Amino acid sequence: MKLPAKTRIVALIAVLTTAWIGASAQAVNSGAQTITLNATLSESVSLTLSANAVNFNLTAGSANNPGSTSITATTTWALRPNRGSLSVYAFFANSASALSDGAGNNIPSTDFQISDNGAAFQALTNTVPFGGANAGLRLANVRILGNNKQGSRTDTMNFNINLGTLPSLPAGVYSGTLTIQVQVI
Amino acid sequence: MKSRANHKFSLAIFASIVLLASFASAQSLNSGAQPIALNAQLAESLTVSLSANAVNFTLAGGSTSNPGSTNVTATTTWVLKPGRTQVTVDAYFASAGAALTDGSGNNIPSSAFKISDNGGASSPLVNTVAFGAANAGLRLATVAITGANKNSNRTDNMAFNIDLSGGTLPQLPAATYTGTLNIQAQATP
Repeated sequence: MKLPAKTRIVALIAVLTTAWIGASAQAVNSGAQTITLNATLSESVSLTLSANAVNFNLTAGSANNPGSTSITATTTWALRPNRGSLSVYAFFANSASALSDGAGNNIPSTDFQISDNGAAFQALTNTVPFGGANAGLRLANVRILGNNKQGSRTDTMNFNINLGTLPSLPAGVYSGTLTIQVQVI
Repeated sequence: MKSRANHKFSLAIFASIVLLASFASAQSLNSGAQPIALNAQLAESLTVSLSANAVNFTLAGGSTSNPGSTNVTATTTWVLKPGRTQVTVDAYFASAGAALTDGSGNNIPSSAFKISDNGGASSPLVNTVAFGAANAGLRLATVAITGANKNSNRTDNMAFNIDLSGGTLPQLPAATYTGTLNIQAQATP
């Protein structure tokens, strides 16, 4: 059966239109390209001191020989999960000779005292993770919880040398190094 | 058989990883160590303090016994450096011939002035000591310094007497005689 020419033209237009519409509705996708993202918040704990030297004018036999200045230790941390606590320590390398005149006369750590944030003076007589045995003092212990994995604290230290137990200490210039350090466990 | 061995091997690898991870999380984290330099100075010192600074005498012509009106206690306190071996305490006048004088040429020599230290015998000031004039002094005390007494003190309780019996002193004219007795300590070497 042969369709009339007019009908064939209309049919052809309809077919072409349908094909065009079909062609334009078909999405064309590229391959998926991935980007790997890595963000690292490094774990850190840092300690800064407001000063690095303290002088003492000693009076023989006196229990009260205060340092010339207080020093503030600022501890700042950013910790991973599962850290349990943070501690701030003060210590000497040797308990018997915290300060020395270099001629065999020493001031032991038991006679060196720190008052932390206005609390009572305490001698450096404990064994802590750093320094010599019986030559340290833990200034602070901070429990790490969900709300303080990033945080900071300050410890203002006042110093005293107690010569009440060293009445025979000879005149001289005694020097030493007190170290402050933080540990997170 | 081979599959079972592979399974065991995989389990062992996994267990090792878990173990290492637990070790890693148990590793403590330390801050840097921050030093504080400490300098403490215990200055060397030697001081003498007296319980009084004046003594009066009511003299009797030619008498051996003219005691002072009061005793004087000298307290010597020291804080010494290593190497010091001795502390001495001396009493002395500036002149042996004129320990006390009336200002008109009449003098009481140091040999007539006596001190009893801490109840000991009364001794004239006739020695040459670390201070003052020759033959015008008396060493009250000598303290050996050891490791045990680098910081210490002592007291010397002095009783005074003027002996007017010697030489020309029985003829000493009536007058007011004044003088200055010094007490001084020395640490050596």
